[in-house]
Amino acid sequence: MARLEDIPEPTRTAVANIPCPAFETTPFVMGPELSKRRAAIVSSAALIRRGDRTFDFGSGEYRAVPGAWDNREILMSHVSINHGRNGYPRDLNVIYPIDRLRELAAEGVIGSVADIHFSVMGSTDPAEMVKSADGIAAGLHADHVNAVVLCPV
Amino acid sequence: MAHILEERGLPTTVLALALPQVEKTRPRRAVMTPFMLGRPLGEPTDPAFQRRVLMRALNLLERTDGPVILEHFPDDNPSWFDRPDWVPAVSLTAPGTPETAGEWEDALRAEMAAVLPVWERFKARFGRTTVGLSGQPPEAWPAFAAAFLDGGLPTVPAHDTPALALRFLADDLKALYCEAVQPDGGPPSARQIDGWFWSETIAAQLLVVLRKTAMGSDNNALKTVGGRFFVPAPFVPA
Repeated sequence: MARLEDIPEPTRTAVANIPCPAFETTPFVMGPELSKRRAAIVSSAALIRRGDRTFDFGSGEYRAVPGAWDNREILMSHVSINHGRNGYPRDLNVIYPIDRLRELAAEGVIGSVADIHFSVMGSTDPAEMVKSADGIAAGLHADHVNAVVLCPV
Repeated sequence: MAHILEERGLPTTVLALALPQVEKTRPRRAVMTPFMLGRPLGEPTDPAFQRRVLMRALNLLERTDGPVILEHFPDDNPSWFDRPDWVPAVSLTAPGTPETAGEWEDALRAEMAAVLPVWERFKARFGRTTVGLSGQPPEAWPAFAAAFLDGGLPTVPAHDTPALALRFLADDLKALYCEAVQPDGGPPSARQIDGWFWSETIAAQLLVVLRKTAMGSDNNALKTVGGRFFVPAPFVPA
């Protein structure tokens, strides 16, 4: 894990004590073999396209991240300044592995890559995320996705 | 998020960075990685390493021994460790500490004159930049920042409030310097980049001063934004 002892305060305490919802059910959805999966990314990096409105502070909103967007135009607008941002300038894939998924699809390791991916902003009250999760689920189903890779930052 | 998506019939797998959250939320499939916050795939410009990480997560989708599967990725990413041979690509000479808003503006402008050409090398090599949240070109930043030191509350069309305009200017300033310091060779560690920026640059000194100014402002939004979003906690002066 990102070692707690390596995370500076106050982020360390915030990470350790972040309120998380408890769930009574444990749904476990199966699917076909990997080579028949259609994969999408859900990122918590508050991804936007250059020039778009940034995510609002505390926002539970979600945004679609079309696969057609040029990697060079995708920016992180996450509110936190206490997580590392100096890896993704060299390579967007370190937070949003879109090129890696495309390579795996081209090789037949996975079936295909979704047309639309999604982003939310982490560091947000999980209760604010429920409506967004419903919207994201609807979008993923519409795109026939059956493999979701969650990439929190 | 993973739980709700599974409830809605979607198989999920998580590249997890924070064990306490995973232990509390118990996502159906997760790979715990040892990478720093902000790097779920670990290593920039290392497709083979990223692929290993991603495949660990994807392979969990074929497992049937749920409902909760947690694996640990065994390796640190290479640039977790400092590169002993790394030298900052930008060599700066400290001009002394500015005092007035005009002096800060001049000092930042002079420093950026040295930084911008190296930043162009980064953009040429990687074909991208993460500068762009402020809605202003770099040439406008020194005067815009100095206006706040003078008690002004300017904004720009890209943002609704002066507080947001200054907050994202701070992000862009850090992004530009982060890129300019590493246009050549392999990636330095995050510690090396942060250490250089916060100890060597006028830009960082200015952010510290802007933080102090914002926290003393009558504008509550600016007070909040300045206190929380200009200077990371480890670099806030005691």
